[in-house]
Parts: sequence; C-alpha cells; structure tokens
Amino acid sequence: MLKVDRRLLQNVDWLLLASTLVVVGVGLVTLWSLSHGRGGSVVVWRQLSWVGLGLLALVGVASVDYRSLARAAPGFYLVGLGLLLTVLVAGRTVSGARRWLPLGPVSLQPAELFKLLFILTLVWVLTSRWAQPPSRGILWLVLGLLAAPSFLILRQPDLGSAVVLFPVLLAILAGAGVRLRELAGLSLAGLAGLPLGWLVLKDYQRERILVYLDPVRDPLGTAYNVIQAKIAVGSGQLLGKGIAGATQSRLAFLPERHTDFIFAVFAETWGFVGCLLLILCYGCLLLRGFEIAATARDAPGRLTALGATSLLATQTLMNMGMATGLLPAVGIPLPLMSYGGSSMVVTLSTVGLLLSVRMRQFG
Amino acid sequence: MGGVRRDLWRQRLLTMTVAIGVGFLVLLGQLWYLQVLEGARLRELSERNRIRVRLAAAPRGVLFDRNGIPLVDNRPAFTLSLIPREMENRQTVLARLAVLLNIPYADLAETLERVPPDSFMPVRVRRGLTLEEVTRVEEWKLELPGVVVEVEPQRAYSASRFAAHLLGFVREASEEQIRQGRYRRGDMVGQSGLERLLDRYLRGRDGGERIEVDALGRPVRVVRRQEPAPGAHVVTTVDWRIQEVVERAMSAHAGAALVMDPRTGDILALTSSPTFDLDQFTGPLGRDAWLRLVRDPQAPLLNRALQGQYPPGSLFKVVVAAAGLQEGSLTPMDHVFCNGEFHLGGRTFKDWKEEGHGQVDLRRALVQSCNIYFYRAGLKVGVEVLTRYAKAFGLGALTGIALPGERPGLVPSPDVTRGRRGWAWQAGDTVNLSIGQGELLVTPLQVARLMAAVATRGILWKPRLVQRVEQPDGKLVYSASSEMNGYVELAPVVWEFLRQSLWGVVNEGGTGAAARLPGLDVAGKTGTAQIVAKSDAARGQEHAWFAAYAPANDPQFVVVVLVEHGGRGGQVGAPIARRIFQGIFLEKVAMVGASG
Repeated sequence: MLKVDRRLLQNVDWLLLASTLVVVGVGLVTLWSLSHGRGGSVVVWRQLSWVGLGLLALVGVASVDYRSLARAAPGFYLVGLGLLLTVLVAGRTVSGARRWLPLGPVSLQPAELFKLLFILTLVWVLTSRWAQPPSRGILWLVLGLLAAPSFLILRQPDLGSAVVLFPVLLAILAGAGVRLRELAGLSLAGLAGLPLGWLVLKDYQRERILVYLDPVRDPLGTAYNVIQAKIAVGSGQLLGKGIAGATQSRLAFLPERHTDFIFAVFAETWGFVGCLLLILCYGCLLLRGFEIAATARDAPGRLTALGATSLLATQTLMNMGMATGLLPAVGIPLPLMSYGGSSMVVTLSTVGLLLSVRMRQFG
Repeated sequence: MGGVRRDLWRQRLLTMTVAIGVGFLVLLGQLWYLQVLEGARLRELSERNRIRVRLAAAPRGVLFDRNGIPLVDNRPAFTLSLIPREMENRQTVLARLAVLLNIPYADLAETLERVPPDSFMPVRVRRGLTLEEVTRVEEWKLELPGVVVEVEPQRAYSASRFAAHLLGFVREASEEQIRQGRYRRGDMVGQSGLERLLDRYLRGRDGGERIEVDALGRPVRVVRRQEPAPGAHVVTTVDWRIQEVVERAMSAHAGAALVMDPRTGDILALTSSPTFDLDQFTGPLGRDAWLRLVRDPQAPLLNRALQGQYPPGSLFKVVVAAAGLQEGSLTPMDHVFCNGEFHLGGRTFKDWKEEGHGQVDLRRALVQSCNIYFYRAGLKVGVEVLTRYAKAFGLGALTGIALPGERPGLVPSPDVTRGRRGWAWQAGDTVNLSIGQGELLVTPLQVARLMAAVATRGILWKPRLVQRVEQPDGKLVYSASSEMNGYVELAPVVWEFLRQSLWGVVNEGGTGAAARLPGLDVAGKTGTAQIVAKSDAARGQEHAWFAAYAPANDPQFVVVVLVEHGGRGGQVGAPIARRIFQGIFLEKVAMVGASG
C-alpha cells in the first residue's frame, strides 16, 4: 500500500499545483481589494471557504484513479443530466435565471459540475472498445450526448456554460484521432444548430450578441456593461491604479465585478504589467496540463488530461476575452478567480483530475 | 498504442497548444491596445464617470369623496437621502449632517447599516425637510458627498385630523413588510384604513433615472429614465360635508358616529373619537411619539365604529319586539303594569325610571323604553328565539365592510356560556339580554346596518366604502356596486309596527325627543349601556347610544351615535344625532352653490 502512495507522490506535478495556488491567491486578493474599506468582506471569507472545499475535492479526485472515474462516467452523466433537469424545476431563480440548486446553506450550480462530468463521459465513450475506431455513428452519439444537456443549460438560461462545452468536445475528439474532415463536418453541424440555439435564447442574451456585433446599436443600454469593462481595463494603463484607485471597480460602475468581470477589476488595479504576469501564471498552468496530456501513457489519460486542460483554457480565454471586449458577454466565470463556489470547487477538481493522471504515469 | 497514433497525437496536441497560445497573444494585443494605446483616454473617462440613480417617487393616488372633493392629496416635499456608494469618509459626513440638521447621529448610522455599502440606490433618511434645512444642506454640498435632497410627493391633509380612521395613515414600510418582499426600504405604505385597504392601487409605481454626473455631482446626461406611474384614484362613498358635520358634532366626546345611506349601504361618514393627527406620520415619527400613540390609554388609533364592542342596551329592544311579534309570542295589545321593579327568583331587576312607566303596551314600551315590559317580553320570547333574531339582524357577525380590523361583537349562546362561565344560562340572563345587557356586544357599524334593515324593511347591506378605482387617465380599474349580504324576513305588519314605534320614540315625547327636528321626520331608538364600573369615578357613566333614520317615510340617511361614558342615550346621544341631521338636511341648501 505504502509503496503505491510513494510512487504517486513522486509524480505530483508541483508546478501545476503552485501555479494553481498562485492564481487562487491572486483571486482572493482581488476580491479583498473590492471590499476594502467599505465593508462587505464576507465575500472574501466565503470564497476562502470555497477554496478550502475545493482543495479537499482536489485531493479527493487526485487520490482516485482517473481510469475508475472514466469507467463510472455513464453514471456521472446521468446524475449530471438529472441535476440539470432538477434545477429547471426546483432551482432558485436569480434575475430571471434558474441556475442554482439550493442545498441548505449553499447552492450548487449543476451546469458547472456538468462540465467536468461531460469530459469524463466523452473519455469513456471514446476509449471504449466498441467505439474503436471513432466512426461517424460515434460522432453522432457524442453530439447527441452533448445536445440534450446543452439544451437544458440553455433553458436555464446559461449561455456561457453551454457554449464552453463545444470547444472542449472538439478538442477531445481531435485528441481521439477523429479525422479533420469529420471534425469540420461536426463543427458545421454545430453551427447549423445555432439557429435552434438562438430560438432558445432569451431577449437579453440575444441583445448581448447583437450588441457585440454592432456596439453603436445601443450605447446606453446593454452595451453599457461592455463599455464600462473596457474603461476599467484600459484605465489601468501600464502599472495599474493600485487598490485604492480602482474606482471603476470599487465604485460599482463595473457590473458583475466579483464574478464575470473580475479580470477587468484585476486589470484596472494592476495594469498591463499585472495582466501579463497573470496570463503567464495561467499559461504555466495550461502548459503543464498539455504536458501531462502529452506524456500520458494510455488513451484515457491523454484524453482526460486534454479535456481538462481545454476546459480550463476555453473558460480562461473566453472570460478574459469578454472582459476586454473581444467577445460578447456570455457569463463564463474566470477559473480560480471568479467568486463562486461551484466554479471554484469544480475547477480545483479539474486540476485534481490532471494531477491524478500525472501521478499515475509510472510503470 | 501504435506509433502512428502517438505522432498524430503529439501533432494535434501541439496544434491545440499553439492555438491556445495564439488566443492569449490576441488577448495581450487587446490589452496592449486598451491599456497602453487607449489607456490615457480611458482613464480620463473613468475619472469623469460617476453614475447616480435618482428615484422618481410615484405620486400616491388621491382619495375623493362621492362628489369629487379630494379627501387627501399630495404635495411636493423635500426628502433627504444618502447614497452609500458615494459616501467616502462616512463617519465624518454623517456627523456633519447630524449637526446641520439636528438629527441624532445614531439614527443616520443605523439607517445606513441596513443597506449594502456599495449600493447605488439612495436611502431616504428624512422626509419633509423645511426650506431652511434644505438651504443649509445645499450650502455644505461639497463637504457632504453622497447626500442628496430630492423633491418627492408627500401626503397632504387639509385638516390633519379629518376622517383619520377612515382614511388611515401612511408610513414607511416596516422591517416586517420589507422582509416579506412586497416593499422596498423607504417606500411609503398605507398602514390603516382606506390607505391600507387600497394601497395596492394607490401606490402606483416608482420610476427613476440613471444619470451620469461629474466629479461635483452635477448631471452630465441622463443614461436611462423610467417614468413613474402615478397611483390610481379612488372615489369613495364618503360625503365630505357630512363627514365634517359628524366630526364637529362628536368633537367633544369619546366614541363613534356613522352615517349610512339605507338605499345603498354606502357609508357617508364615519368617525371615531379620540382621533389622531394623520400628518405626523409623513415626516419622521420618533419611536417615542409612536409608542405614546400606541400605548395611549384612550386608544386614539382604535376605530371605535367598527372595532369598539359595546352592550347595545335598549337598542336591543327593537330586536326583542321584532322577534316577539313575528313569532307571535308578543302582540301589540299586551299590557303590563310597570312600577319600576321586576322580581325574578329572589332577584330584583329595576327600570331606569324609578317610579315606573305605569300601564304600557308594546308601542309605549318602545317609545318610553320601559325595561319592565321587556323583562317580561324577553322571558316570553325565550333566549333561543332572541339569539336567533339577533343573528338574523346581523349581530355577532362581521358586517363585511372592506376595512381591516372589524370586530364581530358577541351574541351570547346558552350552550357556550356554560363552558365559559362554569354555570348554565339562567332566566336572569335572559332578562338582562332583553334590555341589551349582559354579554351581548355590538359595534356601531352593526347597529347602523340593523337600523338600515328597519329603514328598508329587511335589507342587510354590505357596507360600501369604495365606489370605484380609476387610473389618472380615467381608465376604470374596478368598481364596486352595492351588495346585499343578508335579509331579515319579517311580516310587513311587523315592520310597520316597528317603524311607527321608532317614529314615536322621537316625535311622541319618547326617550329620543331630543332628536326631534321641526320639518323633518326622524325615527330612532335610544340606548343606555350599563358597564361594569371599574372605578368609583366611572360608576354610573354608561355608554349613550342613539340610532335613527330620516325621513321616516322614505329613509335616506341612517345615523348612529355612540358616546362612551356619555350617560343616557336620550340625553347625550340624541342631541348629537339631531345636530348631525340638521347639518345633513338643512345646511345642504347653503352648500349647493359652493360644492356644486
């Protein structure tokens, strides 16, 4: 027993862990800076407790063999689907969106959890014997597996979480050796599904996309948030305004500043230099993820690591792109930094998954 | 895995890594653009950038009397608000404000505690500032960041105590109401009377503006505006002039008075005394002032017209007579000799007239309110029948008036009494019941309804206060028509007898002679309710009742007067009713030109 443990511990990817913790720490400091001097520090404490819980989850996931997790994927998928159905019925409604399931003092966001469960499901399907090699039929199956929960997520409505799943799907399929032509076809099918998605979207979500395409359209309404975010980011200039000077954020011109736009808060506070350093941290984290994927010895390991890394990468890029006005605002949290329990715990679990793969690459 | 696969794998992985890398580079490019190239311009924008939310409170709907005269109105008033987000150096600013306006620092701090410190939304801390106070705040504007003075509509009362119980007072939403989620902090909510009953229609919907202001708080431009939706107007059944007459008549007494239209059940006037000032609630009402009101032993907040429960005294004889005649246990020809005393099983029951009334028949017994006659009559009719008829006349149950807080009074029942008192119903209880004493309790509103039933030969109305509710643009929201919610089935000849007797009470030298008005036929009944004297001072101070309608042959108005501890109904109640009738009928001529 002990022997296995030591071997596991030998292969812990310390750099991955370190960069994760650095980013988490930066996130906590940013949240603290928002409440500094004006009360409301409860946010920081709550986030800290989420971090604690997430670290426990990280250790938990890392100590389980990823292959066992992959084998249990069908069950996970059904649980995830079940939770998504439940939240539509029994979820707590906040500003017209039913995304949270109240569980006593805490709330769970099933869409966040589903991101992780989805990766495991894909890994399971693509590494099963009956799916070798991945034929078109398998592709349709996979698309179908994505379609149902995506629809449920869109119904909440939660555009961001639905959108994120697609690039992850493509990445895993690419990693599974699906031919490029097939992938292109799949992308087209996905694009063809967009009009359907458009129908499911609520007015304000459509508005967001339309505004993105044409900012002049509504300078005082929906575009307001985007403009404010750009002002926040840009006003940080090279070296940032420091904590006290980050007026855009602190004076609440910036909406969703604890969650979706936390990167804009960071940018305002620490400027270009700060952003560069933060991006390097994320980059380090993601590179480690890819490295783990590259050196994994079995198919489940590769695909799991690839899936996990692409999930983190997609969310990070999309969120930062949104906060800087490159992408339409679709409500994706910045992994490890945005305020939110479900996101933090799921992201740290994802890191745990990466660690799990890495730790078992021996013999 | 095969070697080929591994190469493919690595190749694809590398592609994806590079793709992510490119993504980040693009991101960095955008950051460079925003922060370095556009940085200076955006920074300047952020410095100029302050958004303020200004609430536009909706004017509350106006309550009108039946002729279109406003009973309450709104006028613009100055409200002091704080914007938490803009309050840097909170303690200094609050301290300065406390000194300037003579408001306790603790109050200000407490109000601010209750809202998130980052909030955009102004929090009202003081309403009804004087012009002088406003000037003072404006002078110190630069030293008071986050402090704003707004003009908002506020309830205005032409006479602060007019129809206070009917109209009800308006006050800021309580913590409980905020917690229920129906109201926001600082919302004015009707808390009693019609203001409370119709609050949902009267309040309208607040609007607001999102304004971009510069560093000095001066508006630069309006970002978004939502017009407030003014509250709907209410046309009540109240007659302003008659209400005034009634309040004047009752001003020196404690008790209640009402005027009802027996043809429709409309409440034309309703007053309860002692009353309270309505406008003390619109400004800041200190906790002490509120507690004083609530704990006042005179209970000014109590609406005695529908919440005061009193023994009806001789008023109940009308019901006894009705019951007896209808059931046949009494006839108009029965005679009794009243010598002032009645003996029953060792107890002696007295008449209010010591020497007695002599030979009386039913009519005379009603006219002179002879107790002895009714002691016997009550025993003849029997308690079961009496209570049945009492309930038939609407006693012991709610009248159905829409105002909150109505009490149902009490009709004693022999079976229940045993459980409550411990011993069974006795004949003596029936005797007491026949003259409206004992456990029997009624409200002035129930009496009015009962009297209206006599006036209309049986119709029990649901008392109506609201005629219609309409939007300021005239669109009807809802209208309520008269509703009959009971009927007293008596033979026409019984009704005739009762009506003749009641006419006699006033016009044949009966107990109600003080209500007599030349040129107007008033019919009614007096009542004197004895109470258990709680102290020597209160001994002998009975409640005085008088309930009447006029004109007797075609009743248009029912008037009920109750004077707490007023003494005898005929002596105290009837003159007040007379003054009311006088005001209604005789002053109407003079007013026609004025109110139109």
